[in-house]
Amino acid sequence: MGSTVTLDVCGLPPPEPFVNIMAALKTLPADTILEVRIHREPFPLYDVLRENGFAWQAAMLADGNFQILIHHAA
Amino acid sequence: MNIASLSTEQSPPISFPFSFFALAPLFLLLAAVMLALGEGNPFAETHSPALLAATHCITLGFMAAVMFGAVQQILPVLVGSKMPAARLVARFTLLALFAGTLALCGGFMRGQPLWFNLAWILLGLALLTFIGASLISLARAPADNATRSAILLAVIALAIAGSIGGLLAHGFATGAALPYPEWLVAHAGFSLGGWVMLLIAGVSYQVVPMFQLTPNYPKWLTAALAPALFVLLWAGFLPLLFGAAARPLVLVAESLYWLLAIIFAAVTLLLQSRRRRRVPDATLSFFRLGMVALICAALFAFAATLCPAAHTAFRTLSALAFLLGFAMSVVNGMLYKIIPFLIWFHLFRGGIKSGIPNMKQIIPEPWMWWHYRLQWATLLAATGAPFLGWAAWLVAAGLSLQGFLLGASVFKSIAVYRKHVRRIERTQV
Repeated sequence: MGSTVTLDVCGLPPPEPFVNIMAALKTLPADTILEVRIHREPFPLYDVLRENGFAWQAAMLADGNFQILIHHAA
Repeated sequence: MNIASLSTEQSPPISFPFSFFALAPLFLLLAAVMLALGEGNPFAETHSPALLAATHCITLGFMAAVMFGAVQQILPVLVGSKMPAARLVARFTLLALFAGTLALCGGFMRGQPLWFNLAWILLGLALLTFIGASLISLARAPADNATRSAILLAVIALAIAGSIGGLLAHGFATGAALPYPEWLVAHAGFSLGGWVMLLIAGVSYQVVPMFQLTPNYPKWLTAALAPALFVLLWAGFLPLLFGAAARPLVLVAESLYWLLAIIFAAVTLLLQSRRRRRVPDATLSFFRLGMVALICAALFAFAATLCPAAHTAFRTLSALAFLLGFAMSVVNGMLYKIIPFLIWFHLFRGGIKSGIPNMKQIIPEPWMWWHYRLQWATLLAATGAPFLGWAAWLVAAGLSLQGFLLGASVFKSIAVYRKHVRRIERTQV
């Protein structure tokens, strides 16, 4: 896996986090990871990722925010 | 990117919650009709048939309907788990809940056993279906957070409140000798203090920071509040077991409950005062009104204890402040956020690449502000209604107008959704 692009959507009101993440995914190169930082776990996003051929890993950070690492599924 | 194929995969179809949202305002109108049909001033007697019928129009026909529709949509968002058999659950719950509420109103107003028997059977089926589906969804939820715990306790409280309500309705139908006053207190405690309070708290933990851009609720509060409130509710059963001897313990439990309610309201108001975007927002104002009303409900409850001579009047005021002030304001505020969000979300996932209406354009902002003013007016009238007969008419008028305005907002949203769906269909042909 190549480089990582970071997208911080912490504190944005709905639906801005979802819109920004979808916009970033549209142009995400095949070998790049999108690192999303978000203030809550975005459960609805996972369905969209799964259906569109992305894989992801979610982790809660020490500050209570979440880090979601998204990349194209193999 | 194939968004179009995703529209109904995980989130229940938009028609499910909107069926509940569209019909619920009718029960505000029906509540007004019940008050108008009552003899004398229905608020002067806490258990007058018209007041009981109107109360259940609001708690079951309006609030439970909105909450059932919303819970089905928010469980996937907040805890990552959808309800099983969503279509069947939605349709059956909707029919049984509304038919059962109508039957219960008939029972209170006409006093005939047939209506009470119909009511407990229909409402029992509605609650059984909703509670069963919710518990399955919560058991499967990957999230193990405070919201999930609070919603779980709320659903258990609903099961207890519904069971007692069913027993009472069956008792009214058969004339069975039951300890009605004690059961009524426990029923009201678990339905309003349990189901309503716990659900609002649990959903607020996420919805307030998310939509109102406030800091998160403190962890000590989200971890302890719902379990503590739930435990305190059980004190409502003590008089059934120990009679008058349990009164001191009940008083302590009640006082602790209201103290916790004040803490929840105060923390919410404090968080809202520290929100990042300081723009006027009707939904925020509804929420704030709700929290102030919750504090008033607690103060009236304390006053009832401290002032035995005016016990009944303060108890009535506490119940009105809780139901009409706290619960209705917060439900209205949440609706005005949830409806535009659902419309936007379903359009986005339905495949629209551009021209999705801004969430603020789906329901006209002035309509929400008018509703907010009406809510204030209804609440003020309600505080005078136990003492002034003409204020009861103002409450009825306020509820009717709220029903009309909310109904118009829901139908406006549906029209916006349909307009854009037609646009998608035209582009796909």
